Amino acid sequence: MTTRMVGAPVPRVEDERFVTGRGRYLDDVGRDALHAAVLRSPHAHARIRSIDVDAVLDCDGVHAVWTYDDLDGPMAEPLPLLIPHPDLTHGRTQHPLARDQVNYVGEAVALVVADDRYLAEDALASIVVDYEPLPPVVGVAAARAAEHLVHDDVPGNLAARGEQSNGDVAAALESAPHRLSLDLEIERSASMPLEGRGVVARFDPDNGRLQVWSSTQTSTGLRAALAAKLGLDLLAVDVITPDVGGGFGVKINHPWPEEVLVALAAMRLGRPVKFVEDRREHFIASAHERGQLHHVEVGFDDDGRVLGLDVRFWHDNGAYTPYGLIVPIITSTQLLGPYKPGAYHVVFDSLYTNTVIVTPYRGAGRPQGCFVMERTMDAIAAALGKDRTEVRAVNLIQPDEFPFDHGLVFQDGRELEYDSGDYPALLAKIKELVGWDEFETFRAEMAAEGRRVGLGLACYVEGTGVGPYEGAHVHVETSGKVKVATGLTTQGQGHQTAFAQIVADALGVPFEDVEVTTGDTRRMAYAVGTFASRAAVMSGSAIHLAALRAREKALRIAADALEASVDDLEIVDGVVQVRGTPGASIDLGTVAVLSNPLRYAFDEASKAATQFSVGDPGKPPVAEDDEPGLEGKDFYSPQRSTFAAGMHAVIVETDPDTAEISILKYAVVHDCGRLVNPLIVEGQIHGGVAQGVGGALYERMAYDDAGQLLNASFMDFLMPFVTEVPGSIDIDHLETLSPLNPLGIKGAGEAGVIPGSAAIAAAIEDAEGIPITAMPISPSQLFELRAARLEEER
Amino acid sequence: MRFTGENTVAAPVERVWEALLDPRVLVATIPGCEQLEATGEHSYAMTVTAGVAAIKGTYTGSCTLADLEPHDSLQMHLVGAGAPGTVDATVAVRFADQGGQTLLTYDADAVVGGMVGGVGQRMLTSVSRRMAAEFFGNVEGVIAGGLPAAAVAAGAGPGAEGGPAVFTAPARPAGSPLGERSFVLGMAVGGALALAGVVLGGILGRRR
Repeated sequence: MTTRMVGAPVPRVEDERFVTGRGRYLDDVGRDALHAAVLRSPHAHARIRSIDVDAVLDCDGVHAVWTYDDLDGPMAEPLPLLIPHPDLTHGRTQHPLARDQVNYVGEAVALVVADDRYLAEDALASIVVDYEPLPPVVGVAAARAAEHLVHDDVPGNLAARGEQSNGDVAAALESAPHRLSLDLEIERSASMPLEGRGVVARFDPDNGRLQVWSSTQTSTGLRAALAAKLGLDLLAVDVITPDVGGGFGVKINHPWPEEVLVALAAMRLGRPVKFVEDRREHFIASAHERGQLHHVEVGFDDDGRVLGLDVRFWHDNGAYTPYGLIVPIITSTQLLGPYKPGAYHVVFDSLYTNTVIVTPYRGAGRPQGCFVMERTMDAIAAALGKDRTEVRAVNLIQPDEFPFDHGLVFQDGRELEYDSGDYPALLAKIKELVGWDEFETFRAEMAAEGRRVGLGLACYVEGTGVGPYEGAHVHVETSGKVKVATGLTTQGQGHQTAFAQIVADALGVPFEDVEVTTGDTRRMAYAVGTFASRAAVMSGSAIHLAALRAREKALRIAADALEASVDDLEIVDGVVQVRGTPGASIDLGTVAVLSNPLRYAFDEASKAATQFSVGDPGKPPVAEDDEPGLEGKDFYSPQRSTFAAGMHAVIVETDPDTAEISILKYAVVHDCGRLVNPLIVEGQIHGGVAQGVGGALYERMAYDDAGQLLNASFMDFLMPFVTEVPGSIDIDHLETLSPLNPLGIKGAGEAGVIPGSAAIAAAIEDAEGIPITAMPISPSQLFELRAARLEEER
Repeated sequence: MRFTGENTVAAPVERVWEALLDPRVLVATIPGCEQLEATGEHSYAMTVTAGVAAIKGTYTGSCTLADLEPHDSLQMHLVGAGAPGTVDATVAVRFADQGGQTLLTYDADAVVGGMVGGVGQRMLTSVSRRMAAEFFGNVEGVIAGGLPAAAVAAGAGPGAEGGPAVFTAPARPAGSPLGERSFVLGMAVGGALALAGVVLGGILGRRR
C-alpha cells in the first residue's frame, strides 16, 4: 500500500510558484484592459447637491465617466442584501454609485474608465461634487444616542435587534449566590489582505459571453450577482478566481460596487476593463469588523459555576448591512465557548454609523464573544479567589455530553449543537504546554530581576464548515493524471495540497498526479464560497466523495477488463490490480480510455477505445445507467456545522517604566478533528495568532468625530511585523473526529485569531493587577491605566 | 483635529491687524494662494494650490470672518475642497501687543477629509504650525518692505462699489527664498500645506 497522505505533513505544492514570482494574481490578468478609478466621498455623511463631470470630457484617454444617473435597470437599484434575516428589520445597502447621499468616507460617487490608472485618477480630480455635509454618526455611543440618523428612515439607527435565550436567566441571576457586572469593549480592525480587491471583466460580443476575474472568496456568488445585475443568463457569465493574496473574510462580501461597474463598463465599451484598489481604498472602501460594546450580568455559585449569563451588546455595522447579521449572530452564540451556563440570554443591537461597512473578518464575531466570556470567567475566578483554570473546569461541557445542544440558533439557521469534543483534555494539555502550575515560580524569579510578567488563558469553540453545500468533480484523464475541481475559492490556504492529499488516498493515485482547480465557475458551477473555516470540511468532504465515485467506476471498468470481481481489486499508485495476483493489472489511464467508447482514434491510446477494438457487441457501448468518461462528481451538504475548539495561553511581560507589552511565550492547543495536513494547520494557527496579536496590541481604526479615518495607511495602521509575532508558538493537537463528515474533519482557518485578545488581556491583567476591559491595548493606554490606579489609591 | 499655536510679528498690533485684513497682502503672503475674491462683507472665495509629492492639488473654498474685535480677536470659518481632500475649520485668532510687537495666538478646530485626512493626518499639526510661522514671516516682510509691485497693480484695478474684488498672487521669481521654502515644505508635508494656507489665509483675508 502507498503511504497514507491524509494526516501527513506534506509541503505545500503551490509555494514554489508563489515564492518564485509565478503566482498569477488579479493584477496579472488583463494586461490590455482599460483601467477604472472611483471617485470617493470625502465626507462621512452628506447630501449630494450636484456632480459636474464636464471637465472630464476634456481629459485625454478617458473612455467613460459615470455617476448614478448613468445607471439603469437593476444597476440603478441598491446592491443585494446577501443574507436576509427576520431580525434585520431595517437592512440597507448602497448603490453602485451614490444616488443622492453618501454615508461613509470612501463611498463610491463616480467612475472613470481611461487608458490607464494615471489618466483615470487625473480625470477623477476634475470632477466637481457639491456636497451638503450632514452631521455624522460615529461610534456605538453616537449611534445609540441617535441624536442624528445615518439613514433618515431608520429610527434609532437600529438595523436589527436580535434576542435568544435558553432557560430563565432572570430567575437564575436572582437566585445565584454571587453576581458580577462587566462592561467589555473591542475596537474595529480589518482583514487587510496584502492584495486588495480587484476585478477584470471581458465581454465577447461575438458569443455574448462575460468573463470576469475577481479577487474574491466566492466566484459562484459573484457570478449570480453579476448575471442578475446585468440582465445576463447565468450560463453566459464565467467568474474565475486567480491566485488571491489573502482574503481573511473581506472578500466574501459581493458584489462590490466596482465588480458590477467594471463588468458593465466592459459590456458598454466592448473593451476589457480592470479595477485594482489601492491601499487607501482598501481602508476606506472595503469592509471592517470587530467594533462592539458588551454588558454582562453573570450569576455563579461558590465553585464558580455559571448559573445565569445575561449579555447585552451593541454592534457597529457601519453604514450598510450587505452581509446581514452574521457577525453579531456569531458573537451571540459562539460567546458560550466550551461552557454550559445554567441559563443564557442575549440581546444585541446592530447599529448604523457613518463608517465603512462591517462584514466578517477572520474570527467573525468570535474574538469579541471569546473576549466577553473569558474575561467573565477571569472575573469570576478573581471574585472567588480561585485559580482561573478551576473555574473554567467546572463550567466545561464534558466529553459524554456530546452532541450538546445549546438550545440556540446558529448563523446558518441550524441548531447550535456541538457535535464532538473533549474540552477537559484540551485544558489539561494547555496547562501542561504553557507550564501553568509552575508559573508562580517563574513569576517570582522574574520579579527578583525587577521584571513583571503575567499569564493568561482563553478557550473557544468555533462552529466551522457551515452549509449549505460544496461540490467536487474528479476527472481521470487518459494519461492517468487526475484533474479535480471544486467551486470554492483559494486565498492561500494550501487547497492544492490538502485536496490532492484527499484524492490521493480516496482514489489510490500518486499525490503528484493530482491537480486541483478552485473558484472557476467553468469547472464547477455549483458552490458557495470560502468562509467560516469551511473549505476542508465542505470541499474536502465533497472531493473525498467524488473521488470515491471515480474509484467505484474505475473498479467496475477494470473488473470487466481484467475479468475479475470488483471485490478483488485495489488501486495502488494509479494502477488497478487484482489483490495477490501480480501482473493482473491495468493503469487508471487505460481505464479512462476504456470508459469512453470512441469512433475516432487520434492517438495510440485512443485506438484502444475504438469500436472495433473494445466492447461487448451484445450491449450498448455506454450502459443505460452509465455515462462516458472516468469521472466522479458529488456534493457534501451537512445537517449542521461541526464545532472545533482550542485554548490559548500566553505569558506577557510588561515594562514597569514604559508599559511596553511583550509576549514571552504563546501556547496553543487545538482540536480541528482529523488533521488533513498538520503543516498547513500549524501555518493557519501561526497566521491566526499573528492576527490575534495584531488585534490585541496594535490594530485599531482611528476614526475622528467627523467620521474621517485618520490612519488609512500602513504608515499609521499598525500590523504586526514578524518582530511582534511570538518567535515560537508551542502547538499541541487533539483529534476529536467530527461525526458529521466522512473524514471527521473540523475547520481550522479562523481558530488561531479567536482567543488572542482574550488571552493577552488576561495576561496583562495578571501582570498588572488592573482589570483589562477593552482591547486592543497600547503601551500608552496601559500607562494611563496605571496612572488612573495610582490616582485611585491616593 | 484641534491645534493651537502662536507667532510673533515684529510690528505693532494695528499694523498687523490691518495687514492681515488686506486681501492684497493675503494673496501675496499665503503660501500657494493664487486668488482671493471678496464675495461679501467679511467673506472671500479663494483658490490655493498646495502640496507636492503624492498629495497635491488645487483647493477652492471660502473664508468667512465673524466676531471682529479690532486689534484683539476674530473668528474665522474656512471651507475648502479639492482633489486631495477637504478642509472645514473654525479658527479663533487673538492679537496681543507685546511692546511694539504683536503676539498672534490661534486655536483651530478642523475637519480634514479625503486623502489628506487619512494619509497625512499625523503631519498636519506640525506642518500647520510651520506654515503659520512662514506665513507670518511673509507678513512681517510685507509690513517692513511693502507689497511686491505686481500685487499692488493687481489689487488696484478692481473693487468698483458693489462689484467683486479679485486679488491675484504676483508671480514669484523662481528660486526666490519664499518659493524654495514652499517647495521644500510642500515636499515634506504634502497637502497639509493647503490646510495651513487656507487657515491662515482666512485669518488674513478678514478686513476690508
